[in-house]
Amino acid sequence: MYAYDTFDHAMVNARVEEFRDQVARRLSGELTEEEFRPLRLMNGLYLQLHAYMLRVAVPYGTLNSRQMRRLAHIARKYDKGYGHFTTRQNIQYNWPKLVDAPDILADLAEVEMHAIQTSGNCIRNVTTDQFAGAAHDEVADPRATAEIIRQWSTFHPEFSFLPRKFKIAITGAPKDRAAVKWHDIGLVLKKNETGELGVEVLVGGGMGRTPVIAKTIANFVPESEMLSYLEAILRVYNEQGRRDNKYKARIKILVEDTGTEEFKRLVEEEYEAIRAGFIDVPAEEVARIRQFFAPPPLPVLADEDAGLDALAAADFRFRAWVKNNTFAHKVPGHVSVTISLKPHGGIPGDATDAQMDLVADIAEEYSQDEVRVSHEQNLILPHVAKRDLVAIWQKLDAAGLGAANVGLLTDIIACPGLDYCSLANARSIPIAQAITNRFDDLKRLEDIGQLKIKISGCINSCGHHHAGHIGILGVDRKGEENYQLLLGGSGEEDASKAAILGPGFDEHGIVDAVEKVVTAYMGERKEGETFLAAYRRLGPDVFKEAVYGAR
Amino acid sequence: MAHVDLQTGEDVTVWRILEDGALPDEAGEWLVPLGRLKDEAGSLLEEKGVRIGALIETDTPHSDLAGIGNYASFAAIRFPGFGDGRGFSLAVRLRKDYGFNGDIRAIGHVIPDQAQFLLRAGFNTSEVPEERREAFVRAVNRYKHVYQSDTQGGISVLRQRHDQAGARRVS
Ligand code: HEM
Ligand code: SF4
Repeated sequence: MYAYDTFDHAMVNARVEEFRDQVARRLSGELTEEEFRPLRLMNGLYLQLHAYMLRVAVPYGTLNSRQMRRLAHIARKYDKGYGHFTTRQNIQYNWPKLVDAPDILADLAEVEMHAIQTSGNCIRNVTTDQFAGAAHDEVADPRATAEIIRQWSTFHPEFSFLPRKFKIAITGAPKDRAAVKWHDIGLVLKKNETGELGVEVLVGGGMGRTPVIAKTIANFVPESEMLSYLEAILRVYNEQGRRDNKYKARIKILVEDTGTEEFKRLVEEEYEAIRAGFIDVPAEEVARIRQFFAPPPLPVLADEDAGLDALAAADFRFRAWVKNNTFAHKVPGHVSVTISLKPHGGIPGDATDAQMDLVADIAEEYSQDEVRVSHEQNLILPHVAKRDLVAIWQKLDAAGLGAANVGLLTDIIACPGLDYCSLANARSIPIAQAITNRFDDLKRLEDIGQLKIKISGCINSCGHHHAGHIGILGVDRKGEENYQLLLGGSGEEDASKAAILGPGFDEHGIVDAVEKVVTAYMGERKEGETFLAAYRRLGPDVFKEAVYGAR
Repeated sequence: MAHVDLQTGEDVTVWRILEDGALPDEAGEWLVPLGRLKDEAGSLLEEKGVRIGALIETDTPHSDLAGIGNYASFAAIRFPGFGDGRGFSLAVRLRKDYGFNGDIRAIGHVIPDQAQFLLRAGFNTSEVPEERREAFVRAVNRYKHVYQSDTQGGISVLRQRHDQAGARRVS
């Protein structure tokens, strides 16, 4: 894991002091709320329906146990005893007090964390694969690349006041677990024929009211010139992105309006002009940063474990957990474990202070002191020996963290919606809860198989409904909460946009509609065919008929 | 409004803006809208004791800045709002692409929290409300290190870590 040096510490501490000064000026009345607003937003502090909300960055989703314990401490001391992990590898606290905000940032700085660039029209927290450094299918660990981008983008003097917020995601594996095609810039790590590391660059993806899937503009930019390429893209966007209409200010609109080829030409012209300059970091620094992400020294172990097999044979829930919640590791005898934050009837992504502490303890004992946050709002123990799975599961299960539903229908992504968010048109959390209550039988879920449901409380798409196999979008219809049903989206390397099936539903109707869709799929599927594959083969008509036919 | 050197906070000469069609009514330093300057720089410069700078709006395409050194000895970029980041890229272009080494001033709506960004993008002076002069100077000195090298001599810590001479200037 990356460790701060004196430069990084100085930077983050200066930020805390700056914010302390700004908050003091606000509290004394020297700054008006209007003047203070952009300043607090630069530190991730929003004003929501009921209270302030603080968004803390978990850069590229990686935490050590000490940092996780600190997140628990903040939940306990300054909030109501829980935190909410989001789809952007951040954690949000829903109830902090303004006067405490500088102390929270100071507590974070002590463990090398911050809330820098978690809001505002700047380059946001870079996100990546939750299995980075552990995944069996990886070309290179994307976190080192992400750390280089984190540093380059932090307080970038030219790109801190962009037309809109700007999101970069990076994957180090061909299997995309970071939704790179749904980002302003998506990066895919690759090696060329000579074994040199580089990135494929995609631009212009994004959700919101105009969902667009990013397009490749460069197949291979050497890692040594990557920042120059990014700088070129950002400069063109900063100069030419629209500022007259915030809905048209994203880079996806610029790329569509300019044309991908012409946009690429503009970027490459700028790239040629700057690539020999001083933007990229020296090779020694790349090597220094890579060292922090060197694979942990895991022993090669037997792939079989008698204790595991015995419990799996005896306990269906454990068997399902091992099947659904573990992921193949590079090193034999190991796996990565996904801790589901989607218990039945729970709030997707929420964890209590005690749960966070427990995960920290388990990570320290069994997972090389590392925890990850996934864009699917779950936590991950990246490096676990199979022979420890029984002990880990027992501890997790006792704390309400044993749900075996990763990748299944109830592993729902949901934004906070009308329960917290001032922009919401509808609730998201109760819909997620109602769906999990309807589908509360693990055997049935297993039979249904891989199915991603994603729920947003408004068109902003924080819950990724456009990328859901089943997407649900809350809209306001004459003052009533109404829910649109979308089908066929994907956030992976085969990214696709979900399409609206037909008229919306009320909060009960939407749960029935989901059930009808699932039943129709079960009736039509071929052997081993996932919901998404079946939808792509069948098209929407079968599902329209199932959902609306009987009306 | 004060006009200050971003690094020292000291007062600098006020540049007056030449309204459309008007001619300088006295010697001194005048800002002329970029478009007009291109056509009229020659005749304006014939006025006695007049120094001419370019007034650049943030929506100016950067290619319009080509050749600017031939007719302007200083430049002001006018921010309609502090969130209009185009002004930063224009200053970078002036220094990087058009080799402009005259003073570049931020005028209009900028805030103290941007002071160091302005300096590093290539601005060296700024218009600031008098009561915010202190805050601007404090902001310039707040962060001792930077994560990006720039044309103004800032060296990224990513380089400094490998450069014992740390303070060596880049450009
Ligand atoms: C309650 C606090 C929140 C507020 C005020 C908020 C605000 C917004 C806004 C205004 C947008 C639309 C901007 C655009 O056009 O891209 C947006 C998009 C988004 N937000 Fe949030 N959000 C909140 C919570 C969350 C949470 C909890 C998550 C994760 C679960 C999240 C993740 C995202 C994502 C992934 C997008 C999609 C943007 C895109 O790719 O185009 N946000 N949010
Ligand atoms: S999708 Fe809308 S309702 Fe949900 S968190 Fe985002 S802005 Fe709020």
